[in-house]
Amino acid sequence: MNGDLRTVGDSDRAVGQHESGQQHAGPGGGSARARRFPTAAPAEDSKLAVEIRTLVERGEMDEARERFGELVAMHQRRASRIAFQYLRDAAEADEAVQDAFVKVFTHIGSYREAWPFEVWFTRILINGCLDRRKSRARRDKWVVAGDASLADEARASAAASRDADPERKLLARERREKMAAAIDRLDGRQRTVFMLCHFGDCTPKEVSAMTGLNESTVRVHLFRAARKLRGLLGGKP
Amino acid sequence: MRRTHHLHDERLFDCYVAARAGDAIDPPSAEHLADCDDCAARYTELVQFMDAVRAEGESESDAIFTPDRLRAQQQQIARRIEHVARPARVLSFPGQFVRRTISASTSRTAPRWVAAAAAAGLFIGIAVGASFEWETRVREAQQTLARGPQVRRPAMFAAGSTRAASASDAADDAFLNELELALERPRTRELVAFDEFTPHVREVRDQQ
Repeated sequence: MNGDLRTVGDSDRAVGQHESGQQHAGPGGGSARARRFPTAAPAEDSKLAVEIRTLVERGEMDEARERFGELVAMHQRRASRIAFQYLRDAAEADEAVQDAFVKVFTHIGSYREAWPFEVWFTRILINGCLDRRKSRARRDKWVVAGDASLADEARASAAASRDADPERKLLARERREKMAAAIDRLDGRQRTVFMLCHFGDCTPKEVSAMTGLNESTVRVHLFRAARKLRGLLGGKP
Repeated sequence: MRRTHHLHDERLFDCYVAARAGDAIDPPSAEHLADCDDCAARYTELVQFMDAVRAEGESESDAIFTPDRLRAQQQQIARRIEHVARPARVLSFPGQFVRRTISASTSRTAPRWVAAAAAAGLFIGIAVGASFEWETRVREAQQTLARGPQVRRPAMFAAGSTRAASASDAADDAFLNELELALERPRTRELVAFDEFTPHVREVRDQQ
């Protein structure tokens, strides 16, 4: 799987290339979330991933696929959220999530239980999203952008506030557009860190393991991202 | 109790991150927050801002990725991994023939044999067609040569039929004129009526 964990593009640094050269973060701290880390007992998803790997190695593919469905169900919503915030296009985010899961299943043999599954999976997802962003930027140089994201925005605001009054709908839509534009203006690393911490519900320690950045660097990026966002949004989202 | 030094923004943010991760806030900072109203207000504002950003983002993506859509996505993933680790099925062509040859364990030579036969058939077909066409041409040429003087004679020596020939020439001219007129006329049905009213160059020229 390491082959997939590389470049970030733009000003992003390679996701998965550790500054310290270590493969994953150190021992888990006292937090409840940090318990997913190597020294502690593996989380449910990590156990499941190990089971799937064993099944695949035994050649019991049907059973492996069935169990993999459970794993997908566990991470799907979070993954879609991260991918959507990254790509701002529902169809593309959908594809990115699918690709990430298919890649996980294809490379499940290289999964090591020492890694929390969530970290491993998120790295794959983020790399896919970054690749898509890069290719989109390349494409946008030559092609006039479509209205996919606008359609998504409209669908989102319509679905979110179906019974709300039009003024509120419009305000919500404006707010989202403003927020998305502000997040898009963040520096590559800051955006990655902010997305993972904020929309991916990851701790700085987990983000450190995913991105290969030091935990203190993650904290600095996160702080700068939040400060910049507050400046761009005028203190209000 | 008033403090002279307030907590730096970075420290406040660390407090927020620690609280979100479920960690204990750094004791000196926690103590300061408890004592200093200004810092407590700044902290509350920060927490409100960050929570609002997250809530906004989450509600937006949750509105797009509805349970139905997630279910469809899950099915799509299941469909895509269905073929993982399964050897690809090779479709043989032509089906019957290859199946027979595979059972006779000559699978590698059969396609070559088929290709060779097809090429030979094509070559023979082209050769036969070409020779037939050639023969027809030769036969026609021979017939023309044999008939040649008889055919040419009436054209050269039929002086009596000059009037008939000029009549046929006039008929040909009229026919060609009609053709030209038809081509000049607009093809759109709606414009034909306008065309009828419009004088044509040809008519004006003829009148002059």
